[in-house]
Amino acid sequence: MNFDLNRLIRGRVWKFGDSVDTDSINPYYLYSTMEEMKQHTLESFRPEFPKEVRPGDILVAGRNFGCGSHRPGVVLREVGIAAIVVESASRLFLRNNIALPLPIFIAPGITGIINDGETLEIDYSPGLVRNPATGASVALRKFPPMIERIFECGGLPELARQRYLAEIAGGAQDPRHESGP
Amino acid sequence: MGQTMAEKLLSGHNLAHSPVKAGDFVEVRIDGAMCHYQFMDIHRLAVEAGFKEGFPRVWDKERVYLLVDHHQPALAQSYADENVLIRREAKRLDIKYFHDAEPGIAHQMMPDYGYVRAGELVVGNDSHTIAYGALNAGSTGITRADMMYVLLFGELWFQVPASVKIVLEGRQPNYPIAKDIIMSLAGKYGDDFAQNMSIEFTGSLVPQLSMDSRMCLATQGVEVAAKFAMFPFDEKTREYLQARTDKPYEPVASDPDAEYEKEIVLNVDQMPFVVAKPHQFGNVVPVDEVRGTRIDQALIGSCSNGRFEDIEIAARMLRGRKVAKGVRFIVSPSSQQVYLQCLRAGLIEQLVAAGVQVVTPGCGVCQPKVGYLADGEVCITATTRNFKGRKGSLNAEIYLGGPLTVTAAAVAGEIVNPREVFNEL
Repeated sequence: MNFDLNRLIRGRVWKFGDSVDTDSINPYYLYSTMEEMKQHTLESFRPEFPKEVRPGDILVAGRNFGCGSHRPGVVLREVGIAAIVVESASRLFLRNNIALPLPIFIAPGITGIINDGETLEIDYSPGLVRNPATGASVALRKFPPMIERIFECGGLPELARQRYLAEIAGGAQDPRHESGP
Repeated sequence: MGQTMAEKLLSGHNLAHSPVKAGDFVEVRIDGAMCHYQFMDIHRLAVEAGFKEGFPRVWDKERVYLLVDHHQPALAQSYADENVLIRREAKRLDIKYFHDAEPGIAHQMMPDYGYVRAGELVVGNDSHTIAYGALNAGSTGITRADMMYVLLFGELWFQVPASVKIVLEGRQPNYPIAKDIIMSLAGKYGDDFAQNMSIEFTGSLVPQLSMDSRMCLATQGVEVAAKFAMFPFDEKTREYLQARTDKPYEPVASDPDAEYEKEIVLNVDQMPFVVAKPHQFGNVVPVDEVRGTRIDQALIGSCSNGRFEDIEIAARMLRGRKVAKGVRFIVSPSSQQVYLQCLRAGLIEQLVAAGVQVVTPGCGVCQPKVGYLADGEVCITATTRNFKGRKGSLNAEIYLGGPLTVTAAAVAGEIVNPREVFNEL
């Protein structure tokens, strides 16, 4: 499914600390199905999270979010997380979210402008993350066009498929360079 | 302006054939793609994207390595069933380098079989793929979706990393210290001090480091958040590769005037033995601070510490000693080749005689697969990670230590300074 980065995202915040690991996001060692993982995701940091998370919520965290293994954050999308905003992210987790795509934004200073349970607004177009209650905002790092294109395509597997089809059709436009809608 | 190893390597692989610098986004050509026991997850991504029959091709049969590693023989029915599907796909795609009936860890088997060479750009859908930096390769973990793209086209996007120079000074003692080095760095500078960066190891200690120690340091590069963790090419690298591959390669070196984001110096002569306390890699203290912590289980294994020198030091220290009563001390070599090397050196007999459980090579000891912990239990382990729940119960405690510190704890029944137990050091 295509993802429009420029759509304003607004949601309730779940706030986490530093170095949240992918084992805790995907406790697949103990639970093998997605249904079970949805009931246990992130419980090692906040036991109430899987019980109380609602579709449209935003996850805010400190530095090094998603450290550890290369496992993706699909389960976070499955429980309805609309976006992730962090001080910094593990490079593999960042790649995973770009590839899915599940919007993830690096916004240094984010943990200083928002508290757990408050509402956050993410406005990609001007590159801002805002706390509408206090008016405080910080800048988010915009992606280069190469990465924006992956979001527009609906993820890297979809882009791969389009590129392959263009290639075997011979001469059709390469999706990597097509301009967005 | 000179180039770092990462800048030179990615410039040389740039599809646009132009030099790149730290921060640039670039599409590059891939030299090697390592897929492991989760290959069917990548296959399923391809199916979901519209390739109904799975991958229509792999881009280059000489550059794809498929190792059904982690958990051999099949640890559960689900693995057995999945492995049947992997064999079917490997046959359909005519995968040339395919290992499906051999226990081990891909990150040991790839170097064992000579599948990685200096100066190459190698990716794998596993975070510890960074290990091959020990061989002067630019190697790193990628995601399953990235791998799907790589298998089709042999290309991938990267951001060229800034580089951190880690200068290791001092003398190699007669026991391995690589684990203590990387944990000391994580403790002092944080578990993400190399976030998205390329580490270059240098300094007077580096030529003294064995290939096993280099692999430990490179593997754990991901625990300090690095993209690459590279060693310079030297005589040891040349000898290692000569024994395993006859394919040509071109080592990569940084320029003298290359620019580094930061430089860190560690003198190992003054370095104490350290442990990482639960539940994060950067939670590091000198071992004396947790002295007397009772343990239930001790482990040596994984892609960080399942190599010959890790097992040799345990066997050497256990000569004439026994594992403490009630302690489960489990050792898992990182591959069949390492296992055989240990057997031929008589290490396995020494371990078993001292009360060690030697288990099949694989990733099980570093996950809750081999040696679960119960509520309230404490484990000290020379493996990759100590996240909460990594060995089962969320109410168990996992300390990371070097193989010598782990062996000392196994003998004493509690965490101790190895010098207290092993007076021959």
